[in-house]
Amino acid sequence: MSSATSFTDNEAIITYASRLMDENRLYFVAIGGPPLLAVLLAKQLHAPSIAYVVEDGTIAPEMRLPAPAFMIGAGLASSRAVAWTDMNTVDFHASRGYIDDGVLAAVQVDAYGNFNSTFAGGTYDRPERRFGGPGGATEIASLCWRTMLMTRLQRRKFVEKLDFVSSPGYIDGTPGARERAGLPAGTGPYRVITERAMFGFDEETHRMKLLAVAPWSSIDDVLSDMEFRPVVPDDVVPLEPPTERELDVLRTQVDPSGRTIAGDWIVLDGAAQAAKAAPVAGAS
Amino acid sequence: MTTRSIPVLDQGAGEFRPPDPDAARRWARDKDRRLVDKRMTEQAAVERFVADGSYVSYDTNVWRRGPSSLMREIIRQHKRDLWLAAKFSAHDATLLTAGGCVSKIDVGWMEVGRIITDAVREGRVKMFEWTNGALAYRHLAGALGVPFLPLRYVGGTDVFHNSGAQLIEDPYTGQPVCLVPAVNPDVALIHVNQCDIYGNARVFGPGLAPVETAMASRHVILSTEEIIDTDEIRKHPAQTTIPYYVVDAVVHAPFGCYPGSVPGLYRADLEHLMEFGAAQLQGTMDAYLEKWVYGVASHTEMMEKRVGLAKMQQLQADETHTEGYYT
Repeated sequence: MSSATSFTDNEAIITYASRLMDENRLYFVAIGGPPLLAVLLAKQLHAPSIAYVVEDGTIAPEMRLPAPAFMIGAGLASSRAVAWTDMNTVDFHASRGYIDDGVLAAVQVDAYGNFNSTFAGGTYDRPERRFGGPGGATEIASLCWRTMLMTRLQRRKFVEKLDFVSSPGYIDGTPGARERAGLPAGTGPYRVITERAMFGFDEETHRMKLLAVAPWSSIDDVLSDMEFRPVVPDDVVPLEPPTERELDVLRTQVDPSGRTIAGDWIVLDGAAQAAKAAPVAGAS
Repeated sequence: MTTRSIPVLDQGAGEFRPPDPDAARRWARDKDRRLVDKRMTEQAAVERFVADGSYVSYDTNVWRRGPSSLMREIIRQHKRDLWLAAKFSAHDATLLTAGGCVSKIDVGWMEVGRIITDAVREGRVKMFEWTNGALAYRHLAGALGVPFLPLRYVGGTDVFHNSGAQLIEDPYTGQPVCLVPAVNPDVALIHVNQCDIYGNARVFGPGLAPVETAMASRHVILSTEEIIDTDEIRKHPAQTTIPYYVVDAVVHAPFGCYPGSVPGLYRADLEHLMEFGAAQLQGTMDAYLEKWVYGVASHTEMMEKRVGLAKMQQLQADETHTEGYYT
C-alpha cells in the first residue's frame, strides 16, 4: 500500500493506534476524540468485528459511517449496540477483567506512563492552565489489562515530573507499585503512541522504552523532544507512515468533519521517502 | 470476641460531604408514599427544592440528555453557593459558574474554558478532583444507603490525594483497596424521556447514572420530554427505572435538554454550542445569559422566542437514527 506524503500529526497518531487493534480484544474508549476514531478506523480497515465499550454505557456499537461531527450529541454514536447500560456497569465490566485495552488521550505523560489531564503550570488551586479533569481515564487506565496512550511528542508533554497525576501508569516503576495502590494485578500501560515515535515499557524497570521511530525522524530527534530519557534498545524499528488508504478512510468516513484529525501537517520530502527503504509495520 | 482494627494505609486530603446514611434514610422516610400529582413549573420546582448551598447532581449533561432547562432556571433564580457533582459534565458547570451560582465542584470531567479557569484562579470556585467513574460510584454508594464502597482505582494518583478517598488493607484479602465515601446530593436534576404525573420515569439510551443519582439524592426533580399515562407505565413496567416514590417534582419540558440532544428525539444544536463557545472566548457571556436565560421567563418562552419552531423541527429531523429508543 502506498505511503502518504502529507498528513497531520493527529492522523498519524490515530492510524498507528488503529494498527495495534485486533478483533480478539475488547476495547474501552473515551466518549469521543482520537481513541474512538482509532477503533473506528481499525473497524473499517482490518478488524470489522472489533468491539468496544464506551464510558456512557454503550457496549459494542456498530456505528454507521460517515460519523457525525459531534458524536456526543448524536444518537448514531451509540447505534446498533448489543447493550445500552450506564457508566457504573461498564466500569464493573472493566473491574471484573473483561475489558482488555483502554485507549486514552493524554495531555502530559511521565517515564512510567502516569499521565495528567487536570492542569499544567501553577498549583491545583491556582492553575495556569486547567483541563477537563481525569474523566473516565483513571478507571480505564487502572482496570483494563493494558492501556494505550495517544499524544503528540513534545517536550512539555513528555516530562520528568507531572504537574498532576490524574491517571496511573506504573506509578514509581517499582515492582508491585500498582497493586500497593489498590489497583488490580497484572495491569498497566502498554503503548504510548505519538506522531513520530511509538513506545512500550521495559518489563523489568517499567520505564518507557522506544520501540519505533518514523522514517522522517530519528532517535536523536525523538529524544530531544522528551524531558526524560526512555530506554533505547538496539532494535528500534521504523514506524511506517500512514497509507493513502488509511488516510482516505479516516478523512471520508471516520472524521469527515475534520474536527479531531486537524493538527500540524507533516509533509515528507524526497529524502525522508528514501530513508524508509524497508518500513516495518507498527511495533506490536 | 477478638477485635482488630483495619489499617488505613493512606488518605486523601480533599473536602467532601461526610456520608450520613441514616440522615439519607430519614429524608426517604419523610417523603410522600402516595401517588400524588407532582407536576409543577420549573420555577416552582427549583424554588422549592434547590437552596443556596445545595449539593446538586445532574444527569447527564448539557450536550446529551441533560436537565438544561432546570439549570437555566437555577441561574434565573440566582441560586448561590452550589456544590456540583460534575460527573462527565459538559459546559453545565461553566454556565452555572457564569451565573454566579457555584462555589464548589467535584469534578470527573467537564468543559473548561476561561470562565472556570478564572473562577478557580480567583478562588471563587474550589475544585475537588475525582473521576467520572468514582463520582458515579459514590452516587451508587449513596443509592445503596451505605457510607462507602471499595473500588480498584483512584489509588496511585494525585486524584487520590485531592479527594476524600482512603486506601485501606482489605480485611478479607489483606491487599490494599481504595474506599470512596457515599454522596447523597441535596437535589438531583434528571431529564427523562417519559414519565407519568407521579414521577414513574423512563430513560432511553445509554446513560451515566440516572438511577443512582435519583436514588442517592434527597430531592429529585425530573424534567421530562413527555408526560404519559400511568396506564401506559403499568403496561410496560420493565421500562420504568425510577419509581414515583423517590421523585419530588415532575416538570414537563419538551426540548428540555436544548441545546443538547436527547438521542432518538433531537440532535444537539451545533450553532448554539458555537454561540456559547464564542461567548466564552470573547468574554461576552453576560450577553449570552441575558439572551438565553434572564431575558426569558421560562423554558417554554425561550424555545418559542429564541429557538423557534423551524429550528426545533430541523433538530428533530436531523436525529436520523432513532432505532432502539421508542421501539
